[in-house]
Amino acid sequence: MMRFLLLFSRQGKLRLQKWFLPMTEREKKKIIRDMTTMVLARKPRTCNFLHWRDLKIVYKRYASLYFCCGLEDQDNELLALEVLHRYVELLDKYFGSVCELDIIFNFEKAYFILDEFLMGGEIQETSKQSIAKSIEASDMLQETMEEYMSKPAF
Amino acid sequence: MPAVSKGDGMRGLAVFISDIRNCKSKEAEIKRINKELANIRSKFKGDKALDGYSKKKYVCKLLFIFLLGHDIDFGHMEAVNLLSSNKYTEKQIGYLFISVLVNSNSELIRLINNAIKNDLSSRNPTFMCLALHCIANVGSREMAEAFAGEIPRILVAGDTMDSVKQSAALCLLRLYKTSPDLVLMGEWTSRVVHLLNDQHMGVVTAAISLITCLSQKNPDEFKTCVSLAVSRLSRIVSSASTDLQDYTYYFVPAPWLSCKLLRLLQCYPPPEDGAVKGRLVECLETILNKAQEPPKSKKVQHSNAKNAILFEAIALIIHYDSEPNLLVRACNQLGQFLQHRETNLRYLALESMCTLASSEFSHEAVKTHIETVINALKTERDVSVRQRAADLLYAMCDRSNAKQIVAEMLSYLETADYSIREEMVLKVAILAEKYAVDYSWYVDTILNLIRIAGDYVSEEVWYRVIQIVINRDDVQGYAAKTVFEALQAPACHENMVKVGGYILGEFGNLIAGDPRSSPLVQFNLLHSKFHLCSVPTRALLLSAYIKFINLFPETKTTIQEVLRCDSQIRNSDVELQQRAVEYLKLSSIASTDVLATVLEEMPPFPERESSILAKLKKKKGPGAVSNELEEGKREGGELNGAGERPGDSSSTPSPSADLLGLRSAAPVSAAPPSAGSLLVDVFSEAGPAAPAASVNDDGFLRFVCKNNGVLFENQLLQIGIKSEYRQNLGRMYLFYGNKTSVQFVSFTTTLNVQLKPVDPLVEGGAQVQQVINIECITDFSEAPILNIKFRYGGALQNLSLKLPVTINKFFQPTEMASNDFFQRWKQLSQPQQEAQKIFKANHAMDTEVIKAKLLGLGTALLDKVDPNPENFVCAGVIQTKSQQVGCLLRLEPNAQAQMYRLTLRSSKDTVSKRLCDLLAEQF
Repeated sequence: MMRFLLLFSRQGKLRLQKWFLPMTEREKKKIIRDMTTMVLARKPRTCNFLHWRDLKIVYKRYASLYFCCGLEDQDNELLALEVLHRYVELLDKYFGSVCELDIIFNFEKAYFILDEFLMGGEIQETSKQSIAKSIEASDMLQETMEEYMSKPAF
Repeated sequence: MPAVSKGDGMRGLAVFISDIRNCKSKEAEIKRINKELANIRSKFKGDKALDGYSKKKYVCKLLFIFLLGHDIDFGHMEAVNLLSSNKYTEKQIGYLFISVLVNSNSELIRLINNAIKNDLSSRNPTFMCLALHCIANVGSREMAEAFAGEIPRILVAGDTMDSVKQSAALCLLRLYKTSPDLVLMGEWTSRVVHLLNDQHMGVVTAAISLITCLSQKNPDEFKTCVSLAVSRLSRIVSSASTDLQDYTYYFVPAPWLSCKLLRLLQCYPPPEDGAVKGRLVECLETILNKAQEPPKSKKVQHSNAKNAILFEAIALIIHYDSEPNLLVRACNQLGQFLQHRETNLRYLALESMCTLASSEFSHEAVKTHIETVINALKTERDVSVRQRAADLLYAMCDRSNAKQIVAEMLSYLETADYSIREEMVLKVAILAEKYAVDYSWYVDTILNLIRIAGDYVSEEVWYRVIQIVINRDDVQGYAAKTVFEALQAPACHENMVKVGGYILGEFGNLIAGDPRSSPLVQFNLLHSKFHLCSVPTRALLLSAYIKFINLFPETKTTIQEVLRCDSQIRNSDVELQQRAVEYLKLSSIASTDVLATVLEEMPPFPERESSILAKLKKKKGPGAVSNELEEGKREGGELNGAGERPGDSSSTPSPSADLLGLRSAAPVSAAPPSAGSLLVDVFSEAGPAAPAASVNDDGFLRFVCKNNGVLFENQLLQIGIKSEYRQNLGRMYLFYGNKTSVQFVSFTTTLNVQLKPVDPLVEGGAQVQQVINIECITDFSEAPILNIKFRYGGALQNLSLKLPVTINKFFQPTEMASNDFFQRWKQLSQPQQEAQKIFKANHAMDTEVIKAKLLGLGTALLDKVDPNPENFVCAGVIQTKSQQVGCLLRLEPNAQAQMYRLTLRSSKDTVSKRLCDLLAEQF
């Protein structure tokens, strides 16, 4: 299973953090620090995988953002790269050519989209269409619900 | 401001985020945040009830502040309130806040659980999914208690929507991982297995993670999943690339599900059913074949997804380890990847080959790639790839290629990245030891290691080379010659000085015949390094010097001069000063016989797992160094192989802690190792408390005449003792050392006397200390028994030891003249006041040694009392709380008969008897 997923900028600013196992704030901060320093120090065109403690680290850079996740020993690194890619595709589809600012200003949406895709560090749904559909449905739901609620009562 | 703001924009939130982004400094940011926090706090505390929208907005701001890295200590209650809102977005933000911020605050958890319960029973799939996500995100035990029964029902109910099933499966998995005891197997389990057949690919993908985890824990209960998984896999593998619609990823059909199916199959041995097995082998062959087909897309996503399946298939082939044909094909495929232009694939190929190297079918095939791997080590631009290459070289090493591999690793070390040097050093040291045919090669290799990467050579490594040299007499002369040569270098690493000092101190005599390495030349060479070294190394060199005095009496005056000079004997470091003073004294007062005994060559070290290996395992984390590999590839002729040197374990000083042996005890009282076996294994696997009969007292008897040393040692545990006594009081320090790399848990010690508890965990390689205060109330003959229990791995270890607290520890020496002595001797003339024993000598009848022991006993040794100068006479008073017991002792050796007569007289018959019994075992 995936243990954590971090999104950070080239300057090391954290944009999203998802922890799939409970951890103390201290541990989290330590991991964030280690990941940003390790990954940002990597030269371009090196491989996307690292070992860190007993975890496999898989990261990939998309424009100004780094997507970085920690995997357990038996997880598949190449597939994890595609998990990151699929997440980028999902964000892209929702925001329409997503950029870092979209994730900053709509961080809650970024979390909701991730929740449709992964749960407890495992893949819940891989179909782009299904995920897009359920995100759309919840956006719709909120609109109709609000309309419904704002209707004057009898 | 972003162009897109779907759903409900929260304007206030967007403004706040912009403000933060516009802050020019950290201080400005903190100021802005504090202002916002104050604002929110006042809103939450205000009299006016907040509407749902405002509450949502403020909770969202708090979340943002938290994610920036600031602490948030309020707002939890408002978030919980949002959960019961009937507006979807408010509910959603409430759940998000709780998922990110709530740990297990019990008061809130109850409220949260209530909201979750409502949503789970709402039959609204969107709400149910939100609730399930919240459970999976928090995953606390309280939640498991509340919902572990409900979720399986949702998962297998006929009318549950697919999306809810997916969430329920993964939510249950999360609960099962943290609280397996709360997730009870039942009727649902068989229905879960059949989710593998579900029409909806998303449901299968989610459910298979749960099934894999459950199968690992309960393989029998879930074994029907094997044939289901094989047929599902076969359908995917043989499907055309468009059959699976949106589950096809860049022309690869269902890569995630395929990998998960292959992973599930790795929980089981190869299928027994011939048809199932045939179908599976067919699948694996198809996957291997596809790797050779031209790609359907140039996109990296296509090749990644395709290769992900290929690597997972290879992992399954390696796991089965029974199809030589497939194993060789897998190996060839990885061989191709070793030269692939994609760095990622080279990295993964090196990594997979490591596991392949441990299979007997493919070990040889892996070895054919040695040149490529060595080349990778030399030329890869990426350090993490080079590291995998080093790992693979280590894994593929065997007797046939050890010299080549070790040589390549050594030459790589000269330029290796600092981050991996230490690990490389450990690996070279292990390989050199494991595959050494002649030990001169081993010694050369380690000395090279110190030369090339001295800073990274940990003490385990140089301890080990010394242990091996001491245990192998065929290599001692060579080792002495080689270190002597290595020390000639004008600048040599301090570790080299340590090894050199130790080895020349023990075996310098073996090369002293050559005038170029005469004793004085050796000494001068060592001493030329002395002033550049740190305190511990200098201390070691001082010990080497005193050993020189014993080995080469002609160096005595030179060395004594060195010891006598102010920089030694008045050194500000207490350890150095003490050594200088004691060694100087020892060399001037002790006879050559005593010197020879005290400074005897170190006895062989007992066989045990190389501490280097343990260190490597620890460094790489559990599972990183395959134990199987270590065991599986062991060949005969290992260094120190058990049985190679009979009697290795029968006489031994403390093998760990201080390699130098001299440090723990002052030289005068350092008794030669007793011939009795120290290593008695009293551990019984998970047995009940060891009865008194099996109490280990071999160690006990060695402590009658000394206070410090190793009381007990076996494969797992070493117990050291330091003790001091004054009058009727004593204090004993017990040191429990964990010799393994695994933690001991539930470590408890009990004494039939009161005892302060000791830390229940003893980490691998660590030592914990326990102090016991002792007061002697009255005289006694039974020693306190220490009972030690702990868990190592799963097995309960149980051990009873006699603590070496004996009546003589409370002796106060009494000096007296001849007249006094005989007068008192006569006063104690009642028959029961005397105890006498005549016994055979167990050790050489060396006067100095006997004297040392009698002093160690705690009595005063009286000179010129007995008319016969061969006899020994002692006097002392035993201090107990209730009374004082005067004791007189007379020991008469008979060298011709190799016998002793021991007589004790004291005012108390039990004391005479006990002392006599104790002492009779000492000579």
